[in-house]
Amino acid sequence: MEAVVVDAGSKLLKAGFAVPDHPPSMIIPTQMKCLPADESSTDASLHEIIVDPVIRGFISDWDAMEDLLDHVLYNGLGWEIGNEGQILFADPLSTPKAAREQLVQLMFERFNISGFYASDQAVLSLYAIGRISGCTVDIGHGKMDIATVIEGAVQQISSRRFELGGLDLTNLLAQELGKSYPLVNLSISDVEQIKEQYACCAEDDDAYEKLQLSCPEEQHTLPDGQVIKIGRERYTVGEALFQPSILGLQAHGVVEQLVHCISTVSSENHRQLLENTVLCGGTASMSGFEDRFQKEASLCSSAIRPCVVKPPEYMPENLSKFSAWVGGAIIAKVVFPQNQHVTKADYDETGPSIVHRKCY
Amino acid sequence: MSWQTYVDDHLMCDIEGHEGHRLAAAAIIGHDGSVWAQSATFPQFKPDEINGITTDFNEPGHLAPTGLHLGGTKYMVIQGEAGAVIRGKKGSGGITIKKTGQALVFGIYEEPVTPGQCNMVVERLGDYLIDQGL
Repeated sequence: MEAVVVDAGSKLLKAGFAVPDHPPSMIIPTQMKCLPADESSTDASLHEIIVDPVIRGFISDWDAMEDLLDHVLYNGLGWEIGNEGQILFADPLSTPKAAREQLVQLMFERFNISGFYASDQAVLSLYAIGRISGCTVDIGHGKMDIATVIEGAVQQISSRRFELGGLDLTNLLAQELGKSYPLVNLSISDVEQIKEQYACCAEDDDAYEKLQLSCPEEQHTLPDGQVIKIGRERYTVGEALFQPSILGLQAHGVVEQLVHCISTVSSENHRQLLENTVLCGGTASMSGFEDRFQKEASLCSSAIRPCVVKPPEYMPENLSKFSAWVGGAIIAKVVFPQNQHVTKADYDETGPSIVHRKCY
Repeated sequence: MSWQTYVDDHLMCDIEGHEGHRLAAAAIIGHDGSVWAQSATFPQFKPDEINGITTDFNEPGHLAPTGLHLGGTKYMVIQGEAGAVIRGKKGSGGITIKKTGQALVFGIYEEPVTPGQCNMVVERLGDYLIDQGL
């Protein structure tokens, strides 16, 4: 049986058997619905609470996560109780040690797996495009990680995590649409859909300014039948990544942050890092983002310009949405057969802290 | 048990499950730089290098910009455990340094030994020494 690779994001959980060059077989929302214990209530929809086990990239609700993994592993992927396999997790940058220990404990004690491995999403995304060194700009739903990786090891001091992601862009879009349509009732999930459908990045600063003044509008029909027009708001959302001041944040745009991170690495590695830049994550797959990133990169002041790497041709389309998962599938093929992972025996002997020693 | 026995039997031993695989070099060195025991293969190091290492244990991140140097070899600092473990990488090999109460346990590995295996050997002995108050 192949190892299972799981990448639990703030919005989407990617899971599947480790078959590289294929997208994950399960891409489901990282959400659990909490039904009331009282079965007799007739109107269940009022009492349903949606729980997000993963917030800003880190697992925050462990019970919900346990239930979600139970569903994914036993129902979704067909694991049988008593015959659990090996599992590989993709962790975001700066995952707290306690969280890694808790995850390995959960997997061995509750799920009784036979082998465990965890790796940083940044390293995995690079493996997916065939590199072991480079930098990744991973813009997900709940967080943005800018990481520098040299020969498969993340350089902690020059990697940064930002609590800025698709979630904040959705809220921004809701705010902007609320200004244009104060009377229309827009639920966050509607706005999320609108964002995914329409959000894009302007070609550069000037183009953005022009679009702010006049922009062709498109009509969009909401699920409840109302029709709204989406105009310059779609570009505002994309621009916020390059000018965080739109979100009210005192921070530099994504390209400058990347260059700043690289500057803390010893200069002999700069070329290797900048010329192997990977954009990944759901939010980075926004239309126009890559082109705008490349353009901003060519304008930046550093001597070496960041250069975005294209994924190999044999990789599935939209790799950036699940590059960490695909990278996980690639190393699962190496780590597990060579017994470099944490086995049940290792865990029993040393306890959860073994994850720090064997997995990185 | 003499310190040399610790190095010969517990650091330079065969890795569990992988007959014939062992660390390339190992040593137990006091915080002041004095050698308690070392394998024959352990490189000659300079006092400055040990100082750099102890500083990094006290101020994590100290060695990251310049790299970890030992015996003239430069290792790239990778994720360790602040104040407890320093890990370095050089090509397909690397080094793990575990800090105990009074000493530093060094393990240097090369291919085919993996970083995880080196960590296990070094940190297991380190934990044992910590338990013994050393």
